[in-house]
Amino acid sequence: MSTPSKTPKSQILKSLALVLAVVLLSSHDLYLKMGTYFLQPNQEARISLYNGTFERSENIITRDRMLDASIVIGGDRRAIQADQWQDQDSTITQLPFKAEGEGTYLVGVSTQAKNIELAANEFNDYLEHDGVSDMLEQRTQAGLLDQDAVESYQKHVKAIFQVGDAKTEDWKTVLDYPIEFVPQENPYEKYSGENLAIQLLLEGEPLANQLVYADFIQTAHSHEGQEHSHEHGESTHTHDDESGSEETHTHTSGQKLRTNNQGIVTVDLPEDGIYYIRTIHMVTTPESEELTHQSKWATLTFEVTHKHGADTHTHDDHDHEEGIPTWVFVLGSAILIGLFYLIFRKKD
Amino acid sequence: MTRIKLTQGLFVFLFFIPLVGFGHDVTSADQELLRNGGLWAYVQVGATHMLTGYDHLLFLAGVIFYLNSFRDIVKFITVFTIGHCITLIGATYAGVTANEHLVDAVIALSVFYKGFENLGGFEKLKVKSPNLLLMVGLFGLIHGFGLSTRLQSFEMGDGQMLAKILCFNLGVEIGQILALIPIVLIISIAKKYPRFPAFYKAVNSYLILAGIGLFAYQLYGYFFGH
Repeated sequence: MSTPSKTPKSQILKSLALVLAVVLLSSHDLYLKMGTYFLQPNQEARISLYNGTFERSENIITRDRMLDASIVIGGDRRAIQADQWQDQDSTITQLPFKAEGEGTYLVGVSTQAKNIELAANEFNDYLEHDGVSDMLEQRTQAGLLDQDAVESYQKHVKAIFQVGDAKTEDWKTVLDYPIEFVPQENPYEKYSGENLAIQLLLEGEPLANQLVYADFIQTAHSHEGQEHSHEHGESTHTHDDESGSEETHTHTSGQKLRTNNQGIVTVDLPEDGIYYIRTIHMVTTPESEELTHQSKWATLTFEVTHKHGADTHTHDDHDHEEGIPTWVFVLGSAILIGLFYLIFRKKD
Repeated sequence: MTRIKLTQGLFVFLFFIPLVGFGHDVTSADQELLRNGGLWAYVQVGATHMLTGYDHLLFLAGVIFYLNSFRDIVKFITVFTIGHCITLIGATYAGVTANEHLVDAVIALSVFYKGFENLGGFEKLKVKSPNLLLMVGLFGLIHGFGLSTRLQSFEMGDGQMLAKILCFNLGVEIGQILALIPIVLIISIAKKYPRFPAFYKAVNSYLILAGIGLFAYQLYGYFFGH
């Protein structure tokens, strides 16, 4: 079936719209992400700073932007030095890491504030696509949708991962970031089918009535995970972002939650997967001559597995006979063959 | 006499060298490797998966046991390779997957089948055995689908999907060759000894038992593990 021929004008308009969409919808979330959040003691791994979507990082984070980078192990909060980070392909900043003893580890990164200028329509689109619905509603109610914005934004991200089987208490460490998520229970004592209460702190105090989005990628199948792609609205021309992304998905898939009076949301954990929780807290800044808005972004990532799998066939068991140690299989097989051999030799 | 016993014991030991030598668990480090190591990582993980996949190796050992000439070995392994390449590449690229336990259960049956056939099971049942080359090709398709579901269990990220699949497949072939070398060598040497018939029966009886055991294990995993 043929399609109507397009005029050059319509093609140009379409291209412009596409470019505009790229500019408007390519803002970046920041996540601390690992291939798996289940490690063994002394195992080497990489902790990646994903600046883009949860599935794809598009830009590195320069060290001068990091106000804090910490890892908490066994109650000891250690600073991650700038030279410990490595950049891969100018798209991902990574921390080569070697696990120590068993325990629940916490890692966090806090970045300094930067400013961004956005035209009114760009700002409105960004609020919509990033799920900053309260501010969009506020602008709508006040009749301010035509006002340009100068926004100060800062991002504060955490990840919790499990080394070995023993659970420790570092998961609940408050890193004193301007905004941060703090689980109310150890995520690694939660399993798929359950839920997890997570508190949101703003300047150390519970933040009530704040929109929080929770989503996950399945660890069982990569293609399905990619369908959860999110895009955010930092404008490419004013940030470090050199994104060429043409994805225009909204950021608001998954669970849309609102914190209660204690700043707590209850996140459902329906399936095995890597969960990522995000929020953008934005306020107007009427007292500022330079800024119109200030936002503080927070994310938290962790992995959830099912109860049975936690002990027997976890993510560090991608081998074919998961749950059967190799030596058991080999020894058992050798004994069986030996016995059979003796039997058949006697028969012969 | 003592020397013969020692040699016989050596057969058993050497037979498992591929498993002992490479049978380390494939850990989450693989996921990290795939995420950060580029295409070469897919080759490495593909090879590792083949070498640590007991069911694949047992089936291959069963095939080799039955064959007498190097030409036959090349022919059958080529058919098996073509079979698993088709489903490994095709299913992964198309995103077709299935429950891993069920796929692995069918693969376990292939191990059982090979042991059963090698011991003349069909003849004893007075049933004509299916064309072996055809069956090896069919099982190649199933094994490839098993490898595909395994590959798809990893987060592969965006881009270069076909290249990643091909590199994983290349790794599988490298792993297969590495596994086949000692298997062919050991079976060839074993055939020179007078006690080979007992060894042949012992290993193939073991294949039957291992096939049943792995099949039951996978079904248990399917019904109770997930």
